[in-house]
This record gives sequence, C-alpha cells and structure tokens, in this order.
Amino acid sequence: MTPLHAIALAAIATVTLGPGVAQAAPLKIGVLETLSGPQASTGQAFRSAVRYAIDKMNAAGGWNGEAVQLLEYDNQGGPAGASDKLKTAVADGVQIVVQGASSAIGGQITEDVRKHNLRNPGKEVVYLNVGAEALELTGEKCNFHHFRLAGNAQIRTKVLVQAMKQAQALGTKVYAINQNYSWGQDMERAIVDNAAAGGYQVVEKTLHDTNKIQDFAPYVSKISGSGAETVITGNWSNDLLLLMKASKAAGLKARFGTVFLDQPGNLTNAGELAIGHFVAHAFNPEAGGAEGERFVADYKGKTGHDPVFIEPQTAFGLDLVADALKRTKPAGGVLDVNAFAKAMETAKLKTPMGEMSMRAADHQVLLPLVVSVVSKDARYKADGTDMGFKPVKLFSAEEAATPVQANCKMQRPG
Amino acid sequence: MESLVFGLLNGVVYGLLLFMVSAGLTLVFGMMGVLNFAHASFYMLGAYFAYTLQGLMGFAPAVVGATLLAGAVGVGVERWFLRRVHHHGHAHELLLTFGLSFIIAEAIKLVFGNYPVDYRVPQALDFAAFAIGAQQYPVYRVLMGSVALLMFAAIYLLMTRTRIGIVVRAAVYRPRMAEALGHNVQLVFMGVFGAGAALAGLAGAIAGAFYTTSPNMALEVGVMVFVVVVVGGLGSLGGAMLASLLIGITTSLAVGIDRSLADLLALVGARAWADGVGGLLTLKVSSLAATIPFALMLLILLLRPTGLMGEK
Repeated sequence: MTPLHAIALAAIATVTLGPGVAQAAPLKIGVLETLSGPQASTGQAFRSAVRYAIDKMNAAGGWNGEAVQLLEYDNQGGPAGASDKLKTAVADGVQIVVQGASSAIGGQITEDVRKHNLRNPGKEVVYLNVGAEALELTGEKCNFHHFRLAGNAQIRTKVLVQAMKQAQALGTKVYAINQNYSWGQDMERAIVDNAAAGGYQVVEKTLHDTNKIQDFAPYVSKISGSGAETVITGNWSNDLLLLMKASKAAGLKARFGTVFLDQPGNLTNAGELAIGHFVAHAFNPEAGGAEGERFVADYKGKTGHDPVFIEPQTAFGLDLVADALKRTKPAGGVLDVNAFAKAMETAKLKTPMGEMSMRAADHQVLLPLVVSVVSKDARYKADGTDMGFKPVKLFSAEEAATPVQANCKMQRPG
Repeated sequence: MESLVFGLLNGVVYGLLLFMVSAGLTLVFGMMGVLNFAHASFYMLGAYFAYTLQGLMGFAPAVVGATLLAGAVGVGVERWFLRRVHHHGHAHELLLTFGLSFIIAEAIKLVFGNYPVDYRVPQALDFAAFAIGAQQYPVYRVLMGSVALLMFAAIYLLMTRTRIGIVVRAAVYRPRMAEALGHNVQLVFMGVFGAGAALAGLAGAIAGAFYTTSPNMALEVGVMVFVVVVVGGLGSLGGAMLASLLIGITTSLAVGIDRSLADLLALVGARAWADGVGGLLTLKVSSLAATIPFALMLLILLLRPTGLMGEK
C-alpha cells in the first residue's frame, strides 16, 4: 500500500464513519414483560400499550431521524427470568427498558440496572417502570435511572378515600385486606395512614397469600364478623374477583374500594354484584371529555381494543418519554442515557385527564387520578357488559400527590 | 361461635371440592400407576365446556354434557397417547401428561382468551340456604358439597359392590390373568382414565361457576390436588377424602386465627424478645393459611411417607 493509498483510504474512512449520524444505530427500547405463564395477560396488556406508544413516536418521526426499535423479552413471570433477560437486552443494545407487571420483578430490575450502571459508566441503561407500584422503588431503593410512570399505594388510597368519603360511601369502619408482598403491605399501610383523613377506623387488617387462594369464604366470614362497612383492597386478578364473588355469595353488605377493578374479565365475571363498588384508576374516558374520547378511538383503532386497566397509564407514561426524547440531542449518533434521564426529570405532558409531570426528587410521576364507581349509567360500557365506570371525582396531579419519601437518597451522576 | 360454625362449614365444603378434583387423580394412579399431571387440565376443560354449553342448553344439562365431554377427551388421550408410551414406563407417561397440561392451557387461551369468562352460578341457584346472624350461607356451596358426597358414595359402591369393580381391580392387579380370562384390559384402562377425567370435568363444571373460569384455574387447583393425594396416600380414595377435609378445615380455621408465635412466647414472658426478633415469630397464622397444606404435606412425608391411608 503506497502512502497515497493509505491517505485516500483514511479519507474514505473519515467520510463514512466521521459524522456518523446517518449510520448511527437506532434507539432501542426493550419491553421486559411477563408474556407467558399464568400472569401473561397482564404483561401482554402492558406490551400492547407500549407498542401503541412507540408506533406513535415513530409516526412523529422517531428519534434522531430514525424509527425507534421496540424489542420484546419474556421475563417468564419471575425476578430471575427478568434479571436474565435484562442482560440479553443490554447485550442487544437496548438503552431503555420498560416493565410494569409485578413489584417483585420491578425491584429486581431496578437493582440490576443500578449495578449495571455503576459498573459500566458511559453505557448506562434506564428503567421505565410503568406499573410496579411498591413504595420502596421510589423510596429506599430510589435510583437515578429508574422512573415510575404509574401511581403508588399512597396516591391511590388517598384519592380513593377522599372520593368515597365525599360520595358518602365510606362509612366509619374499614377493613383492609391485601396480598402479602410489597404492594399489598404498602396498601395496608396506606389504608391505616389515611384513617384520620377519611374519618374511619380500620377494624381489621388481613394479609393473605398472593393468587394462591381459591376459597375466600373464610376471609369473608371474618370481614362479616368485624362489622366493616367498607373493604379497601389493593388485590388484583383472581384475588380481587374471588374475594368479591365470595362476598356476594355470603350476602356481605360491605362496599369495596379497589385499585384494579377495571382489569378485563372482572366486570364480566362479577356481573351485577360489581355495581356500586369503587376503583381509583389513571383514566376514565367519561372524565376525559372530548380528549378522552379521541384517545379511546385512536387506541382502539390501532390495537383493536379499548384502553383499559394499566394500558392508559402506560401509553401516557411513554408519551412523557417521547417528550423527553425530543429534548435530548444525540451524542455521537447515539442516545446519552444520562442526558435523557435529566430531560425525563423535567418532562411534562397534557393528557386527556390533565397535566402530568415527572418529579425530579424521587422520579415518581405526578399524574391525575380518577375515582369511579361501577354503574349502569356510565357512558362507556366496559368488558362487553351493560355496566361501566362512572367518574365520581377527578383529582389533578397536585391533589393526588403525596410527599417524597424521606428515605429516598438519590445518587446523581456527576 | 357463629364464626366457628361458618369456618367449619366453609372448610368442609372446600375440602369436598378438593376431593371432587383429586378423586379422579388418585383413582387413575391407584388403578394404572399413571401420575396424571394433566388431571387439573381436565378440571379446567370441564369448566370451559360447561360455560360453552350453558348458552345452548341451560345449566344442569351443560354440567352433564361437560362431564361427558371431559371424559371423552380423557378416553382419547388414553387411546391415542398414553397407550403408545405405556410400554416405555411411567416416566414417559408422566412427561406426556405434563406436556399435555401445557397444550391444553395454551389451547384454552387461544380459543377463549386470556381473561376469565362469564361463567356464573345460575340465577335460580343464587340464593342463601340459611343464615346465622348477619352471615348467609349460599345454597350453591351446599350443592357442591352434596355432589362431592354423592360422587364418593358412587365410586366406592362401584368399585366394591359391582361386577365392573371386580373386573377393574382384577385388571389392575393381574392384567395378564384378567386378559386370559377374556376381559379386555385395554378397554378397562381406557375406561378408568376416561372416568377419572370425567370426574375432574364434573368438578370443574360445578366449581368453575362458583369461583372463576380462567386459563389459570388448572394451575391454581393443580398444586393443591397433588398435596391432597400425597397427604391422603397415592391411590387411596378414602385417604383423598380424609386429606381433602383436613386441608379444607385447617386452612379455613387458620384464617380466623390472628395469633403469632410471639403470642405463644408471651406465656413464658418472652413477648418483648419475640417482637424484637420479628420475622417468623411475629407472622400471624392467618397470613399463612394457604401455606399450611404444604407444611402438612412435609410433615406427612417425614412421618408417614405412604400418606394417611396409603398402602405401600
């Protein structure tokens, strides 16, 4: 090779590799959800919302002139699988991981992400938590590279209690029944913490095994014996449905305040017995007015079903991410994760439910919540039944917010 | 007092339900030596069949139809699957049924979707049988219990008092000899497996309406059914009944006990120490209710590995 050739080659190399913008790898977002096994339905719901949001991002031009790539990983329903798949995702070049179903899995991912980022400066990844609502994730375990785009036990219980009290459906005796793991324990604490504000007394508290119990009759018998007027529970999936069915069978008169009554299948299966019970959720099209209607129509057009359960909060959460991405300039053709995380801290969005923003102090999103009651008068029917969720009260993000937990000591990169 | 009565009643009926599901499993194991991992899947199939048929023919015929259909699926499984791997030994049969349970669960998800379906107790049966104080006892629970008792009596009489029972027991005990005497042993095995599946299907059709009919129902009940069969003794019908009742009643009563080990230690003045240690010592019995059957299984395996009424 003559010197001249060498120079020419080098010149070509500079031209092709130098600016590098056009050749840069596209931004990769990985969904790390439970896509198989008993809890697959929840994971698939999260996935469908993430797909919807990413398609929207790409329709608006993607990021850095390229379409954002969505990669999907099945964590097989447990922290061990999630930890494993997180490594695969990082090896595949994923810079943003999204997960929501189960706080146990969320706890694992946030720890793994923290350790990965400590060991690999310059190659950080960020964890977008779209549904793991255990308090420790924004408390004791809070982490600069974790963002919760969903509610939590304190927020949900606070609005639930306020709205039920206002609707004069709360009574003075409340029974707390929850699943015995981080989320259920948080719910129990939140129910006790809100006793003064709600003007009630917690007559009894029960923690039970998660999604293992078939027969809730003994628990209902206990609730009945306690004389409770209202049962507040963070139960989801079968634990909620079976509890409500057992209550109906035993003729229990208590009213239910729930967090996940809008999970698909619940209204169909519970039937008329669901009427009059409350739910604190992130979206209700009737409360969202014209904007809400437009969102429902668009979502249904793209995914084939209505946005229910955790789907709206996930779609809104990723819109917030899109806002932050828009303000993050590429560094050498790729995403600087730390810069993106800083942009996330100031992300703001107007959703059909109102203003939504990220709180920098603990990376908990401040989102509007709505408390609804199951009724036949609801404008939008749910689950193929003649019932739906009628909004009782809409809470703005500030009204719903609870203070930053004192034990969150966030380590920020230099 | 009132809560104790209800606790016992709830426990007995739940126990009887467990018996309904585990009867077929223990029967098939006792007769054929096949540990059927797909047994709970037949329970789920029964519920979905009944749900589908209910719209066409009403509740009671749907339950009967679902039982027969689940039995037919069982017959098919024995005829075209199990029989082929039978001579390879029990490990192959076990793996086959294990794989089958996944296939059935995924097939259900494909056809009926991921979420619970609208299968409920019919209006005509949705009332209280009686009430004590403020609590009502649903008539459907009484019905579930009665069906289980009838089932127990029917199987017991069939096996011990009829000619069919004699042939079945002979075919199991000395298959070659039974065959030489002109009995079709293959047919007997097919019949037993089909009957086991039908019993599970019946349990599913009845319990699916009361609890939930979802693609997870096999998994939820499956584990507990194995616990019942192990505690009762593999192959023993009476043992399955005893173990089901024991498990039903202990879990039901445990829910009402809000005591922990710390309360026990308080008797010897070590309360403060126990509260300080925390962990297992301050865990309430009620929060462990669903775990108690597993502890019971462990205990049985340690003290009496053959189960309460097992033979060998």
